[in-house]
Amino acid sequence: MIQQLIAGIVIFFFLLKLLNQWKKKTISANEFIFWLIFWVSAILIVVFIKQIDQIVIKLGFSSSAINLVFYLAVLFLFYLIFKMRLKIVKIEKNITDLARQITFLKK
Amino acid sequence: MKIACVIPAYNEEKNIAKIIEQVKQIVDLVVVVNDHSSDKTKEILDNINDLKIAVLHHPINLGQGAALQTGNDYSIKHGCDIIVHFDADRQFLAEDIRKIVSPIIEENYDIVLGSRFMEIKSEIPKFKKNIIMPIAKIFNRLFFNIKTSDPQNGFRAMKSSVAEKIKIENDRMAHCTEILAKAFKYGLKIKEVPVKVLYTEFGQKFSGGFKIIKDLFLKKISN
Repeated sequence: MIQQLIAGIVIFFFLLKLLNQWKKKTISANEFIFWLIFWVSAILIVVFIKQIDQIVIKLGFSSSAINLVFYLAVLFLFYLIFKMRLKIVKIEKNITDLARQITFLKK
Repeated sequence: MKIACVIPAYNEEKNIAKIIEQVKQIVDLVVVVNDHSSDKTKEILDNINDLKIAVLHHPINLGQGAALQTGNDYSIKHGCDIIVHFDADRQFLAEDIRKIVSPIIEENYDIVLGSRFMEIKSEIPKFKKNIIMPIAKIFNRLFFNIKTSDPQNGFRAMKSSVAEKIKIENDRMAHCTEILAKAFKYGLKIKEVPVKVLYTEFGQKFSGGFKIIKDLFLKKISN
């Protein structure tokens, strides 16, 4: 129960931050919806952790629901890092093109 | 035939003036690309007043591959027929430029690559020769179908039409593999010629090899 409460507070903190970012218009609508779904899902997992535990057992997994959530979270983080890396490569390419144009302009 | 020699320079205040002096005797245009050096390279280059020498300054440090592409773009724009890639650290000999452009002029080759492993033997550091280079060779052969004796040699010459085709996208050190991979992919007429390389200090480190592999991988999946 205490663990669920702590997790709830942490998620609530991130939701507030998300709403704040949305108010300041520092994130796009799509990003806001994505992260809203993400954190609401996290709350649902925390609230219905016992029910998810039973589903996990029925599906034949030996680990508990919280372990499964962690595995999925790690996989998700890997995916995010990968996507960010690709984005950085593209930004680097744009910077190179821009720097080259400046080089020729100065010539 | 108008020959341009592209020299990327990053913190080469000790070598750049001598290299330019040697190279300009052999080619029609020397294109020096200062890759945002933090030493006096920029000042030295800005004092040069010679129509045969074009000096370009990158506003930020982009890497050797990017500097070569900038030089290629400039050479193509200025009507050069052959583009030579040359290092500013005095590892290559300027007189070898004649040898490297000759197969393009006389035998109509598309791209000519310098090799340290043909008749002329360079004094390559043992670790580099016996560990780094064989691994690089196997990697290049396996993943990019590159079948040359010295895939990591930066001394090369190509026709301008080839430079237009081979756009260097790897800004840093992975450009060597990229150029060769594209040359083989496009089925270009390739020749290797022996060149001498002088080792003033230990060049590419083992960790640098991994960085090249990482850069190539990222570039491949981001395209």
